[in-house]
Amino acid sequence: MAVLSINNLTKNYRKVKALDNVSFSVPPKTVFGILGPNGSGKTTLLGIVMDVIKASGGTYSWAGNGLAPNDVRKTIGTLLETPNFYHYLSAEKNLKIAAMIKGRGEGDIEKVLKMVNLYDRRTSKFNTYSLGMKQRLAIASALLGDPDILVFDEPTNGLDPAGIAEIRELIKELYKAGKTIIMASHILDEVEKVCTHVAIIQKGVLKTVGSVAELMNTGGVDTVTNVLIEISAADKNAVKNILQQYDGVLSITETENDLQLICAESVTGEAINRMCFEKGIVLNKLNVKRKSLETRFLEITGKQSDK
Amino acid sequence: MINLLKIEWLKIKGYTGFILLGSFFVLGVGASNYIVFLFKRNVLDKVQASKILLGGSPFDFDMVWKTVSYYSSYFLMLPALLIVILISNEFNYKTHRQNIIDGWSRFEFLKVKIAMALIFALACTLVVVITALIFGATSGSSFSLNGFENIGYFLLKAFTYNMVAILISLLTKKSGVAIALFFIYTIFENGVSLMLFFLAVKLKKDSNIDWGNLGNYLPMNASDGLLTSPFEQFSGIARNILPSDFNSVVFPLALGYLILFYFWSRRKMMRSDL
Repeated sequence: MAVLSINNLTKNYRKVKALDNVSFSVPPKTVFGILGPNGSGKTTLLGIVMDVIKASGGTYSWAGNGLAPNDVRKTIGTLLETPNFYHYLSAEKNLKIAAMIKGRGEGDIEKVLKMVNLYDRRTSKFNTYSLGMKQRLAIASALLGDPDILVFDEPTNGLDPAGIAEIRELIKELYKAGKTIIMASHILDEVEKVCTHVAIIQKGVLKTVGSVAELMNTGGVDTVTNVLIEISAADKNAVKNILQQYDGVLSITETENDLQLICAESVTGEAINRMCFEKGIVLNKLNVKRKSLETRFLEITGKQSDK
Repeated sequence: MINLLKIEWLKIKGYTGFILLGSFFVLGVGASNYIVFLFKRNVLDKVQASKILLGGSPFDFDMVWKTVSYYSSYFLMLPALLIVILISNEFNYKTHRQNIIDGWSRFEFLKVKIAMALIFALACTLVVVITALIFGATSGSSFSLNGFENIGYFLLKAFTYNMVAILISLLTKKSGVAIALFFIYTIFENGVSLMLFFLAVKLKKDSNIDWGNLGNYLPMNASDGLLTSPFEQFSGIARNILPSDFNSVVFPLALGYLILFYFWSRRKMMRSDL
């Protein structure tokens, strides 16, 4: 049974359609990424399922064994958009408020503060925290009560590289522990590194949804291609002419520094190199990449930024 | 509800504004009544004519309930201001969203704010009762509960101000705007109320139509109008030209406005994006 089912969710802000008939389900025990450019509707979607934004149409339901909607939310750890705490209270007191609302004891507070390395600053007021510390406190709050479902909206916002790596590891550990994590992000690398499933949203429209493996191997051109090869040579036009005659090369895109080839799965770097060399061209760059989520994402959403 | 209130108490007990405004209210109530007390003792009591006009002391039982309630009510802006600040803080810090994300229903968020508004009103009323007892005791008159209904009117007025504060905070969501709107609306309504009062006086004088003080039929002035100046009561000179006090109309109207504020706030909280 799905942890969260969303059916035709729509949200209009006057003439702007922030969400347009979005439907999908989140399977249990997955890391479900909601991926989309800035302003694509990710936070609006999460805001609706957490009851802080009212949908213009459609429905959603959490698997909650008959609990009232607000009681279901007590069992979910959520960080939505920004860390929301009382600025004049300490981290400890803020977490005490969150724990009391969730109906949990205070026993977890020490544990979660240690998990996010804030225990030593537990008595400091929230307004003395750096952006990264605020973000970590929000994650600590979401972890209160060891919830089975976690909702993270841009969880690595404001964190330094070490902090980002820590949060990624934490998400992976939570996944291994059998939790379901729903994570909205516009950072493709982040989603690719931790998510098992992904829904791609653009301008409020759900473009695709499924497991990351499925997404990389299905749909459009990808049914026959999943290799991206970047090459470069002194005479790019000559290389282009040679490779256009090669069956396995399906498309060639010229960028500022090199050529990007989308090739059939059977094409290898060695074959490309040999072909060029036999025609008297020496490549100065040859980089065979597996199909990345970034490539797939750009194919689905187009290269134009939503902005 | 007890659990909701415990959480709300955690939020406000460490807030400097709560301590400051609460202290200002207590000091203001004590000081304002003491000033009136001194004025009466040092000025009015020395003028023979005033004794004839005013009769007894405003700080004797039964009048002390009315006197202290009336002068203390000028400080009811302070708890209302505190409520505006506390609710606006929730919107500024987006903690209203987090409270709901963490598991409160939207109605629980509103319910506990209304409960706090009532508790603040009751606490202010308790301060007024204690102040009235102190002044009443020092006046040398014997204890009486006659006129205690004025304490009830004070409570109603305090709760009304606090409910208006909740409504304005929910409608504006921004502390600066909410505070400004609260004061502007209060001044505006008092201005309109004064004009309506003059109209009521004119109607009575010119046409002998007595519809009461029309200004008292406005939302905040309904509860205001129930608390009248103790000196007005003593003098009685202007009774013939002033419109009557239709408390039997104003009191249910004041309760009606409270119900309106409640449903308006509830509608706003339940339906809007947070």
